[in-house]
Amino acid sequence: MAGNALLKHVVTFGRVLREAGLEVGPGRLTDALRALDNVDLSRQEDVYFSLRQTLVSRQDELALFDRAFMAWFLRAPVLPPARVANDPQAIQRATDLLVDRSDPDGEDGEGDPLELGASGHELLKEKDFADMTPDEFRRVRRLMAALAERRPRRASRRRTPSARGDRLDIRRLIRHSLRTGGDPVDRPLRARKQVPRKLVILCDVSGSMDAYARALILFLHATVGSGPGVEAFAFGTRLSRLTPELGTRDPAAALEKCTEAVTDWGSGTRIGASLKEFNDLYGRRAMSRGAIVVVVSDGWERQDPELVGREMARLARAAYAVVWVNPLKGNPEYQPLAGGMRAALPFVDRFLPGHNLRSLEELATMLACIKRRHAA
Amino acid sequence: MSAFRTIDELDAALRAVDYLPDRGLSTALFLALALEKPLLLEGEAGVGKTEAAKSLATAMGARLIRLQCYEGLDVAHAVYEWNYPRQLLHIRAAQEGTVSEDELFGPAYLIRRPLLEAIDSDEPVVLLIDEIDRADEEFEAFLLEVLSDFQITIPELGTIKARRRPAVILTSNRTRELHDALKRRALFHWIGHPSIEREIEIVKVRVPEAADRLAIEAAAFVRELRGLDLAKPPGVAETIDWTMALHALGRQEIDAEVVQQTLGSILKYREDIEAVRDETLQGLVDKARAAAPQ
Repeated sequence: MAGNALLKHVVTFGRVLREAGLEVGPGRLTDALRALDNVDLSRQEDVYFSLRQTLVSRQDELALFDRAFMAWFLRAPVLPPARVANDPQAIQRATDLLVDRSDPDGEDGEGDPLELGASGHELLKEKDFADMTPDEFRRVRRLMAALAERRPRRASRRRTPSARGDRLDIRRLIRHSLRTGGDPVDRPLRARKQVPRKLVILCDVSGSMDAYARALILFLHATVGSGPGVEAFAFGTRLSRLTPELGTRDPAAALEKCTEAVTDWGSGTRIGASLKEFNDLYGRRAMSRGAIVVVVSDGWERQDPELVGREMARLARAAYAVVWVNPLKGNPEYQPLAGGMRAALPFVDRFLPGHNLRSLEELATMLACIKRRHAA
Repeated sequence: MSAFRTIDELDAALRAVDYLPDRGLSTALFLALALEKPLLLEGEAGVGKTEAAKSLATAMGARLIRLQCYEGLDVAHAVYEWNYPRQLLHIRAAQEGTVSEDELFGPAYLIRRPLLEAIDSDEPVVLLIDEIDRADEEFEAFLLEVLSDFQITIPELGTIKARRRPAVILTSNRTRELHDALKRRALFHWIGHPSIEREIEIVKVRVPEAADRLAIEAAAFVRELRGLDLAKPPGVAETIDWTMALHALGRQEIDAEVVQQTLGSILKYREDIEAVRDETLQGLVDKARAAAPQ
């Protein structure tokens, strides 16, 4: 077994990694020690790979690991990762929304929140997100969770026993036919299982979307919580993946992390560049293949509308369907004249407003029954 | 139980079967054997993930058992299935007497699929579970169980436990995140694109009939391509295919014209091919040619 000094060294290194944000449990540390026991400790390269291969399990954590390794084992001076200052007001605003401080036994705490009838709800549904008070927002949050439940589905390649199936269940058929001397009397069937279709949401959180972004982040949180297969991204001047942040149970903590990740909250928009980043990083790994992709943005591209068109074309080729939600469309006089919006429209299957709860409801209903791209 | 005592030994054995790993990959394979843990290999398409498992099997003199994953992959295709036609025939043949279940669900009627083969083998085995990210989550959960106990339970026959643990290599193209529990159980290695020197070496080993100059220029050109902003940068597999194509055309070196004609064997997307056409192409060819000694 490894010496005591080495043990201490590795355990401390594990703590360094944990502080850097890696998940390093005791099981991994044991593996690391066992690995070091098997290699030549005088070869730095072998020590490096042994630790890396046992302690890291994701490609995007490699850079973090390298930095920690340099700092710890090579004693190289390291700069802390650059952190861009966030807009503290935006964080506060958003956090306020997610931490439900209202009385849990409040007036709308029971029954199906989507059920109509309460005229208060009706009014709330039509109200533009930009005009809502914090109190109204809290009530909207409940309605959104119910909306997100309606996920689009598709037939899986996996089959399960079903009375209305389309394939014989031969294993059961044989077993049943034993009782009848080998004659198949009943015909057990299997049908394709229905599973949620992949859903990718790309949400613009730049300055021009500020009033809507907070509502849409709520919607994203509710959707990610509705089950597996949902990926959420926020973009402004660049793209960042929000799924892990939004996936946590505690929405307040989730939003705090999420705003930290979207360092460009409230700054300019580069839609084309952000879409490109998505296609390059995630599209290449087939995240968009067969998925319904929802882009939420007002289409104000500051730099290169042509790039928006090109990247939308790429996105549309891989996706099952592309939906664009533009809060400005809620205004009856709105015309899609913004350069980015115009360039994107030819590749969009459905173009919807997203300025109030009613329109998000439409979105959810539409998502549940949308058909293959170009069928629209 | 490891077939190799040191990383260098394993490295040499892989080289002997024409696979040229870098130190990181050798270490990963060595540790997988030494610690008896599955190894998860990730990396861009075409960097040699599958090839690594195949070569390891050859180098160890082990049998390679490959399980190609896809959505809907289930126990019947991954572990075992009962031979229904034979069972039916058996019931028919025994018209008069009655057939007991024990008779019908015995080893004679069992079709063994890759996972069962690998667990129930007496010879050394390298089990390659290819593109695990393509299988669905139900299968991943099942696999997790198999990989932690190395045993499989068939209700009718009982539990079959591995007498010697197979070396397990999983590959993933990261089309989705794998479950944390599975990752925790495995060692992880990310294979990047090789250095230019190594890639030239790989091409020479894989296409020994090609001229040295051609191998160098082809590797250098592909390297230039990877520096561009492409939808799908070419991997080592593409470099090898392309060098073969160029050699088949009787080329000793590359020029803009032949690159133009054969670009389809390196780049698989129309927009990538268009991005490289014309002016960019000549510049890249010039740079690649400069890499070879005059």
